[in-house]
Amino acid sequence: MFFVTVISAAGLTMQFGSQRALDSLNLEVPKGVTGLVGANGAGKTTLMSIALGLRPATSGTITVLGLDPTKDAAQLRSVVGYGPERNVLPEDMPASDFVKHLAEVRGMPKSEARGRASDALWLVGLGEERFRALGTMSTGQRQRVKLAQAIAADPSLVLLDEPTDGLDPVQRDEMLALIRQISADYGIDVLLSSHLLEEVERICDNIVALDAGRLVAQGPLASLVGDTTTITAELVEIVDRPGAIDAVEERLREAGLDVRRDLNQLRVTAADQQTSLDAIRDAVAAEQARLRRVVVDRTTLEDLFTEAPA
Amino acid sequence: MTAAEIFDRGYRRFDGERAGVGKAVRSVAWHTICSILGLGRKGRHKVFPIIVAVVAFLPSIGFLALSVLIGDLMEGELQPEYWELFGLPIVAVMLFATLVAPEAIVRDRRDGMLRLYLSTPLTAPTYLAAKFVAVMTSMAIVVAGPALLYLVANTIQGLGPNGFANWLEVAAKLLLSSGIIVGFFAAVSLGAASVTDRRAFASVAVLATLFGVSIVVNISVDSIGASRTLLVLDPLSVPLETAARIFGDNSDGFTDFDTGEVVPTGLVYGGTALWIAAGFGVLADRYRRIGAV
Repeated sequence: MFFVTVISAAGLTMQFGSQRALDSLNLEVPKGVTGLVGANGAGKTTLMSIALGLRPATSGTITVLGLDPTKDAAQLRSVVGYGPERNVLPEDMPASDFVKHLAEVRGMPKSEARGRASDALWLVGLGEERFRALGTMSTGQRQRVKLAQAIAADPSLVLLDEPTDGLDPVQRDEMLALIRQISADYGIDVLLSSHLLEEVERICDNIVALDAGRLVAQGPLASLVGDTTTITAELVEIVDRPGAIDAVEERLREAGLDVRRDLNQLRVTAADQQTSLDAIRDAVAAEQARLRRVVVDRTTLEDLFTEAPA
Repeated sequence: MTAAEIFDRGYRRFDGERAGVGKAVRSVAWHTICSILGLGRKGRHKVFPIIVAVVAFLPSIGFLALSVLIGDLMEGELQPEYWELFGLPIVAVMLFATLVAPEAIVRDRRDGMLRLYLSTPLTAPTYLAAKFVAVMTSMAIVVAGPALLYLVANTIQGLGPNGFANWLEVAAKLLLSSGIIVGFFAAVSLGAASVTDRRAFASVAVLATLFGVSIVVNISVDSIGASRTLLVLDPLSVPLETAARIFGDNSDGFTDFDTGEVVPTGLVYGGTALWIAAGFGVLADRYRRIGAV
């Protein structure tokens, strides 16, 4: 199967009683690693449940790998791997049996399932530990087992719900590298949900950002955060130049810059950092204003949320 | 010089054909049977299935021993009716339904397997079908096993049914009775166990359903004077009575000795069907409520 768009949704809405978990989402998830970001309760798990066909949407449409999750659920779920958020697994089952069993349920022949379970566990770094009972494994190892079971049946797409939950920084780095590897080396598309924006920025090609069930932003990571910087210029009120800050702001706007005022601070969002800095310098000089400091920040995913309209 | 060979043990893509939902159901059913019977698990998980099997097979083995020891004396009064052989296996299967069968579904909800299963080609109805098949198969070992063992051994001893046609009829009735008995207890057990995620509470729920309703029905009939027909709702007696009716017989409990009236066979079958339907109904409703159906 070849799809440019892995997941496509139009007007997707999910209502639980009086609470709207997803609000008219229109989104396109392309191939590669896509980060589904948002705070807890943003609707990430609900979107994954709908994409897997575990629950029908209240309204709207969604296709995953070109299939309708409600009508083609069995066909879809044989080629989609899923790593749930909940970190509870059968305590007395060896990791290899667990991964093999789920690979079989996903349609792998018995002999193939055993080999693939072993390969998947080696891939996630648990080759030597594969016969250990899941109950004796650490949180990090269990997260790896969840990743192994999600990829063992050779899916085209893997949905991972908070795969770094409960991991220490070293384990988190290793897990993120693994996720990047299964996409880069084996061509498996990944939709990774996380409330940690920094980790999504590190490994994702694309972003879908949700806030309270609404779409905040979507697109390639580079176009959302990589090419823009935020320059914060803090000016000082001067008694004999009472309108200086207003005048600087006006000059910057006239120069075509996106300026936001917060008391004595002017925040300029700029695609070309040097040109914007020059414009600030010229405006301050022309108005004889006094500059206290200039801070240059690259736009981050966090800015997408703080700048989103309420 | 030896030929060099490289074994690629790494993860790779799969080009073969994937099996469908039927294979998924079989895989989950087999995995559940192994789990229930303690196969591939620690020794403590095997203890109870062994005790249940011993209790179930005891009468058949006892009767067989007697027939070997005293031979012809076993013919006639001493030889039990075939349906009577289900008496002790029903006790065993009640223990099984109370203490073992709930594990089939309760464990998956507790340890997160249910959500994982439902992310595969399985749906809630096919998942429940796999669980039902697994529980029925496990129970069938202790219900059908002893009866069929007795039939085969009796036949070898020359004490079995006369003629091949009669033998087939008895075998078919034994299998039908076994199927209904295990279907009855599987439905009641899974239905009652579905109300909780805790195995101990699930066992209590099954126990309360079986004995609670039975006590109420029997008090109503024996002490309050309600119609004996009400016994068709007694979950402890109606499965065995159903087996008796399949063999064209009836037990004393379903006969009013004052009037000589016997509870109609249709009502006995109806009572059994009602319990099975109720078990399935509760199970389906529960899984719909937790968002799995």
